Amino acid sequence: MTARHLIWIRRASQAFFLLFFLFLLIESRLPQDVFVEYSPALSSAQELSIERPVRFFFQLDPLVLFSSLLSGHHLIKGFWWAIVLLVVTLFLGRFFCGFICPLGTIHHVVSWFKPTLKGERMVRANQKSPGQRVKYFLLITVLIGALIGVNFTGLMDPISILFRSIALAIIPGLGTGAKEVFELMAGSDVKILNLIGYGEVLLSPVFGYTYEVFKTAWFIGLLFLAILFLNRIRPRFWCRFLCPLGALLGIFSRFTILTLVKDEEKCTGCNTCTKSCQGAAEPEPGKEWESAECLMCFNCFDSCPEDALSFRFRWSSSLSNKQPDMGRRAVLAGILAGVSLPLLGRLDGQAHNVSNPRLIRPPGSLAEKDFLTLCQRCGLCMKVCPTNVINPTLTEAGMAGLWTPHLIMTQGYCEYTCTLCGDVCPTGAIAEFSAKEKIERPIKIGSAYIERGRCLPWSGNGPCIVCEEHCPTSPKAIYFRKGIVAGPDGKESPVQLPYVDLTTCVGCGICEYKCPVKGLPAIRVISAGESRSMENQILL
Amino acid sequence: MKKLITRRMAVKRLFQISSAMAFSALTDWPLRGTKKLWAQKQGTGFIVEGFGQTEGYSIKELTKKIFDAAGGIARFISRGDVVVIKPNVSWARRPELAATTNPEVLEAVIELCYDCGAKKVRIADHTIHDARRCFAITGVGSVAKKTDADLVMPRSSLMKKMKIHGHRLDIWPVFIPLVEADKVINLPIAKDHGLSTLTLGIKNWIGGVGGRRYALHQDIHQTIVDLAQFFKPTVTLIDATRIMVTNGPSGGNLSDVAEKNTLILSDDQVAADAAAAKLFGVNPANLGFIELGEKWGIGTSDLLKLNRKKVVI
Repeated sequence: MTARHLIWIRRASQAFFLLFFLFLLIESRLPQDVFVEYSPALSSAQELSIERPVRFFFQLDPLVLFSSLLSGHHLIKGFWWAIVLLVVTLFLGRFFCGFICPLGTIHHVVSWFKPTLKGERMVRANQKSPGQRVKYFLLITVLIGALIGVNFTGLMDPISILFRSIALAIIPGLGTGAKEVFELMAGSDVKILNLIGYGEVLLSPVFGYTYEVFKTAWFIGLLFLAILFLNRIRPRFWCRFLCPLGALLGIFSRFTILTLVKDEEKCTGCNTCTKSCQGAAEPEPGKEWESAECLMCFNCFDSCPEDALSFRFRWSSSLSNKQPDMGRRAVLAGILAGVSLPLLGRLDGQAHNVSNPRLIRPPGSLAEKDFLTLCQRCGLCMKVCPTNVINPTLTEAGMAGLWTPHLIMTQGYCEYTCTLCGDVCPTGAIAEFSAKEKIERPIKIGSAYIERGRCLPWSGNGPCIVCEEHCPTSPKAIYFRKGIVAGPDGKESPVQLPYVDLTTCVGCGICEYKCPVKGLPAIRVISAGESRSMENQILL
Repeated sequence: MKKLITRRMAVKRLFQISSAMAFSALTDWPLRGTKKLWAQKQGTGFIVEGFGQTEGYSIKELTKKIFDAAGGIARFISRGDVVVIKPNVSWARRPELAATTNPEVLEAVIELCYDCGAKKVRIADHTIHDARRCFAITGVGSVAKKTDADLVMPRSSLMKKMKIHGHRLDIWPVFIPLVEADKVINLPIAKDHGLSTLTLGIKNWIGGVGGRRYALHQDIHQTIVDLAQFFKPTVTLIDATRIMVTNGPSGGNLSDVAEKNTLILSDDQVAADAAAAKLFGVNPANLGFIELGEKWGIGTSDLLKLNRKKVVI
């Protein structure tokens, strides 16, 4: 097989996996054509679920596997995909980085397209540098941190980063923009523009039908752009210097049998190979090839004009690959940071105590401490939520809980029989639950309370029953007592006054969402009473 | 050589065009001035109440029979019509919980429409819960698929501000598919309601608007009557096969449901609601929206004024 073939196979594989990733990301939503077959005999609660294997890339990711095993002592579903990947990595090196990783592919394309560094400058940029040890430092930090009890992996894991950035920032950004344009056209009096306005129907499946937006996602999007921009400084900057998954696979690639074979006789020292090497893995004859840094992109193989380089399977029992260059300092610093980060994360007290009353976790979430050991902050639950209620946290859950999911009831509400967030969570931070369980146990996520000063009937500003009307429990957790309230004119009239029954309220938040008092609703939900906590309770 | 147009000719041509336009604007003159927004209903309405008495009766047959008793569905639906059906699918609840229109009735109506030559039948409702979940769980989605009816998903681009000409509502965002139709069939379910006591046909129009619709509850009776006047359905068919007698309008428990095996068909929105109210043992005179509906001339609650029929199978 010639190098050219290998390059095209690589490109095809990269394109396939990137498109597959985006396809699964877009499909991580409730489709419009799901039906529960109706029959008069239908008697059990029917659940809607996502048909596609939307967790696939997280199951393929060994970093997710290790971190959840270390911190939550939980073997995630479909973990054997990651095992397969590791076994293959043992033989083929970091082929995941070169052939599969969707974030790597994006970096690859960005680095390749009109690079700022040219000629000799690119050759110098692609020399191996001590900075490449940072990724080992980060890997050790997140794994030790996970072992001690706070899982920061999701902040650095490439699959989580890409999913979070695209699902929470890029797609909502494009979606709301496109929707604005279409609505402008639909409102036009010009017939043809008006007709094009209906084109929104074709686009809306991509944007999840409801055009979700996420609070503080601009920050996630900005960081993503910054990571992409780094490729201007060094090709595949992220993969080379920062990616902890790359570091992990680098360690496993120590024993790879697919190796770069250099023919020093043929080499003319033109440095074309180094110029094309995005991983800075020393492909040049005369230097020792770094299997742990090599992204298996085969660029050097392809670019060498003298055929001095080739990739070959080398069957030998002795270890002849260079060991990953971690550096003692990176290892020690990693251990230190790994130990201290979870401790720092507890400084704000949020891992153990309840300090933010509005930190309402999705139904099925584990107790806060366990939740933080498993949550990958990937944003899958946020993307899949049909009402857009699940948003990433910024400060609500403390430093240790950055970008974990929480529910903002003014933006949506938790549907009473919906189970999607638990269905898709790749690590089980949100445990799977059935609609029956959710109703009958019941799974409470908080409790509602009424602010009488703003409530229309309580404040004498007129009748309103919207919270009671929407309350989904049976019997309703919001009930009325008849009362006499004086209106603004001083005239007393009978009204129905809403009350909350804390024993039946599940905290779904539909009352807060639908309350006509906008901005700061007259009925609100706090996390107190949530089933997942022993302490955060109101009633005996 | 190019033929030049003289100034005189140009002026003449312009005059011709403008006078033609002015004249064409006058052509609908005979039609003008006769339309009154709050026209009184003529006393030619009808109401048909259908009961399924036998065990295991066919809802389809009952639906067909009551339309036949009203003169056949062809009286209302013409060949080539686009028919929009407005069921009540507000909640993502299983059909037997009686929070939403019975899918069997819906299916029967759609089939009748297609049988008499409707071009397209659409199902449109601005649901309260997420529309995808509502349509999927209530069985409406599978009915749409089975009968080849279009399911119109509510989306903000389909809510357009329109003049309601109501006594309380002036301009409000309306769910456009309900307006862009040749015929509209209102297909509510009869349920208990915390504020308006009952939610029947007139109250079903809350599902036809968008915007801050939960503020409508502050003057519920007048606002829903305004909406009913605005939407003017061709017929109203109230599904009372199962009714929700308590814990409405969302329910959630089988103990909230009572079997009534009744369908009420009328071209008079007030009369249909008045007849349905009796199933709950509620005196129609005590319902604010019925009183206001009569006051503003949308219909009558006096069923004796109408051509009244009963169908029992």
